[in-house]
Amino acid sequence: MTNLNLDAFVADLERLRSEVKKALANVADTEALEASRIVFLGAKNGQLKALQKGLGKLGSEDKPAGGQQFNAVKKSVEALFLQASQRVVAPLKNTKAVEQIDVTLPGSPIRFGRVHPITQTIRRVSSIMANLGFEAVDGPEVEDQWHNFEALAIPNEHPARDPLDNFYIAVANTNRPLLLRSQTSTVQIRVMEQRKPPLRIVSLGRVYRPDTADATHYPMFHQVEGLLIEPGATMAHLKSVLRSFASSFLGGDVRVRFRPSFFPFTEPSVEVDMEWNGRWIEMGGAGMVDPSVLQSVGYDPDEVCGFAFGLGVERIAARRFGVADIRDFYRNDIRFLEQFHDRGQA
Amino acid sequence: MIVSLDWLADYVDLPEVDALTERLLLSGLNHESTKIIHDDAAVDLEVTSNRPDCLGHIGVAREVSVLFQRPLKIPTVSITGPEPPHSFSVAIESTDICPFYSARLIRGVTVGPSPDWLVRRLETVGVASVNNVVDVTNYVMLECGQPLHAFDLNSLNGEKIIVRRAKEGESFVAINHKEYKLTSEMCVISDSKQSLAIAGVMGGAETEISLETTDVLIESAQFAPLPVRSAARALVLGSPSSYRFERGPDPAAVEWASCRAVELIRDLAGGTFAAPAIQAGSLSSSQSTIDLRTHRVEQVLGVSVSLQRQREILQSLGFVEQESGDDVTRWLAPTWRRDCTREIDLVEEVARIEGYDCVPENIPISAVPVQRSPRERMVRVVSESCVAAGFCEAMTRSVVGERFEEFSSPWGDAPALVCSPPLVQGADRLRRTLLPSLLEARSNSLSSGSSHGDLFEIAHCYLRREDESLEGTVPVEEPLLLALATGGDFFYGKGFAAAILERLGVYEWSSAERPVSQAGVEFGVTYHPFESAVMQEGRSAEILFHSKGEKSRRIGVVGEFSEGVMKMCGFDKNSVGIELRLDGLEFTTKYESTLLSLSSFPSIDRDMNLVVDEGISWASVRAAIESTQCDALESVHLGEIWRDAERLGEGKKSVVVSIRLRSSKETLSAEQANSFVKAMVRSCQDRVGAALRG
Repeated sequence: MTNLNLDAFVADLERLRSEVKKALANVADTEALEASRIVFLGAKNGQLKALQKGLGKLGSEDKPAGGQQFNAVKKSVEALFLQASQRVVAPLKNTKAVEQIDVTLPGSPIRFGRVHPITQTIRRVSSIMANLGFEAVDGPEVEDQWHNFEALAIPNEHPARDPLDNFYIAVANTNRPLLLRSQTSTVQIRVMEQRKPPLRIVSLGRVYRPDTADATHYPMFHQVEGLLIEPGATMAHLKSVLRSFASSFLGGDVRVRFRPSFFPFTEPSVEVDMEWNGRWIEMGGAGMVDPSVLQSVGYDPDEVCGFAFGLGVERIAARRFGVADIRDFYRNDIRFLEQFHDRGQA
Repeated sequence: MIVSLDWLADYVDLPEVDALTERLLLSGLNHESTKIIHDDAAVDLEVTSNRPDCLGHIGVAREVSVLFQRPLKIPTVSITGPEPPHSFSVAIESTDICPFYSARLIRGVTVGPSPDWLVRRLETVGVASVNNVVDVTNYVMLECGQPLHAFDLNSLNGEKIIVRRAKEGESFVAINHKEYKLTSEMCVISDSKQSLAIAGVMGGAETEISLETTDVLIESAQFAPLPVRSAARALVLGSPSSYRFERGPDPAAVEWASCRAVELIRDLAGGTFAAPAIQAGSLSSSQSTIDLRTHRVEQVLGVSVSLQRQREILQSLGFVEQESGDDVTRWLAPTWRRDCTREIDLVEEVARIEGYDCVPENIPISAVPVQRSPRERMVRVVSESCVAAGFCEAMTRSVVGERFEEFSSPWGDAPALVCSPPLVQGADRLRRTLLPSLLEARSNSLSSGSSHGDLFEIAHCYLRREDESLEGTVPVEEPLLLALATGGDFFYGKGFAAAILERLGVYEWSSAERPVSQAGVEFGVTYHPFESAVMQEGRSAEILFHSKGEKSRRIGVVGEFSEGVMKMCGFDKNSVGIELRLDGLEFTTKYESTLLSLSSFPSIDRDMNLVVDEGISWASVRAAIESTQCDALESVHLGEIWRDAERLGEGKKSVVVSIRLRSSKETLSAEQANSFVKAMVRSCQDRVGAALRG
């Protein structure tokens, strides 16, 4: 077998280079470029690959020069391909005709759900209260008389304990009647029994009172009740906290007003109004924690004092969302629920 | 309490009406409305239950006199006359209900219409005029707050009034001419033969004052609040009298009202009476002596009120200073303020008269760090996930009807707790599962024309605990549940449940043992066939929760609803329900994520086509693969399952398993991958009798 002539080998290389040049000059798109790439640079049957096989057939004295020539041509061919690829890079704009669509047709539906407006309101209230240092707590809805009444200074003969005014639960042990809690203050008692002052908590959740359901009453509703126990706490602190709350909730600088009232577990007791659109609107009840309540959980009323306040969530939510009939909150009609977008308020 | 301004002006000079109501509003008598009636104004004031003294015009006038610092003029009563006949007497058998009873007899009256001034004043406060005698008793009650009753003396049997308990089942015709069945817990006023009145609640038709009446007995008594309230409620027979007795009128007004009434009757209807009353029992009157530390007012209010001002306020309210000092003053509460027994009560009196406007509202509050509780964060995560998936949050009643009892609870078999009265008509069972409520809401939404009925709820259910006598705790458990109802099949439901659980850091395991591929994960769940009356047989599962060192427990159910449920709810397409018990899962979630470094080496994917018996579960195939403890096993996925009796044999199925292998240390070679796969196939042969196909 004779060695391949170096000159012939170099001539083959040069021919390849000029063929590549010629071919690439006519290449107009990426597909044609890829086709040419396979013809010339294909890893298996490309022409360059074929020539590389010739390198092994050169005489041993010709091999270094042949190798140099091969590499130079390979580089140059690759550079030509690179140039061409930069030239024919696919245009962004589609050149082929595609079917035109009616862009006014509806998109594929992506649906988000909604958080219930009552939950939204509770979250809003508790996030404002969290900014004021109040931690959200919860507790049982089925309660005993101690937590629902006695510890809250509601004695046995108090009208609030009347069987017709509460949802008592049939139990085997009649010495220990149970009922659905009528206020979330029960949770405050439970927390005070467990912890020492200072305390700042908001208890929230469902409460139950036998009211006939109408536009403004429902036998099940939600309360948010705040409690602060700290040495030196006064009604001035109470008023300041509620003013901060009202200002955050309604926006702007909102004034609050106290009207004397009566609750068994606070004294002095007040109704709280906030000024909204030039009118005083009822916000809830509040007061200084009654000394007997502090005693019932083992606190010394001369050492610590505190205040408590309660807000009716349904009432706030009804006003906030323009709901005229609070029974709508419990009908769970999707057409109702879908109207309340949480827009990041809480 | 409706107040006539014309009437009120008898006792105190009144300011202009708006100033009056505004000031009353800010000191404890909430102003509801003012109505002009003829030349008078009816001012409706809300009186809190601790202030029975304001259930009469004089009490309201006292507030006005204190607030506007104007003198209070209370009519004096001074009656003189002969001793009453000794033949008439009063006996109290139930002193616990009636501590004191006073009767005055006035004879020779002419019953007729009341004079205009009286008719008009009663009309203003919403009381219809009856006749001059009855009107006087109402007038005096509305004047001083002490209820009175007038009996036609000649209709009495005998000359004795007996205050006693009613006979069980005794029937009584009240002044409204309706008949009532009494119980032995109620107290009546009777003569020697029959009951004349239900004590403190209402008089009887038999002895009512008529145009023929000539002799009258005026009753002024004390009745205990609780029995009066119980009787009034039991008979659904509330009256202005019972309303006042429930709150406790001024003991000092008992005698005053009696005298005032007979004087007015004499003036309006004529007649003569004896000056001393016929009485029984002893007046129950307790006046508290209270020490007020001067600095206490500022300690509570956060603003100081001078000792001088404190004195002024308390004195004007009728408190009597018994001992004076700069640091402490001792006060005797007036008879009409039995609500005042403690220092804090005096602080409140000073505060409400001084006005809460003086309390500052811009005290800085110290900052305290607050964190959301794990429970609250978990609930947020779950609710956000449901909302993102297109579900609306529902809020359904905690108490349901008996019909929902057919839905067995996944959380316990004990019967539901029952409340009385029912929450709403027909609903007295504390629910043990949320699913029926949610199905009802879904059904309502779909039938009301909503675009969908995809609802979720996060709420408690209520379970009886075994030992009801357990001291110190409430024998009821309240698991926090997530329930969800939507269209779709079991796999959609399971996928949803699994996604929620994964957000809480709980992954599906192939067995109760933690699989190797779940390194670092301490909690897992497995799914098992579940039977329930409301779910489609063979298409529902319970979810068991596993955690090291703990007994496995059920935390969820997921399944397609049974045909019966579908029919009941009117669903025409498959519906699936999920109920997850969330309490306990707040501790499975790491809320701060820690980065696990990503392997920079390539992965190798392999498929295994395994032929197994029909009864072999996917979980057991997965468990067999995972049991090889291959560190490089990144994931195991189900490719497909197919059956072909001819090619695979009867009772066989082909399970295509896709595994991904990746090492964190090196690029796996084909040989390494092959040996891992080989081990896995062998494990499947050994454990589930699998044969490799193709």
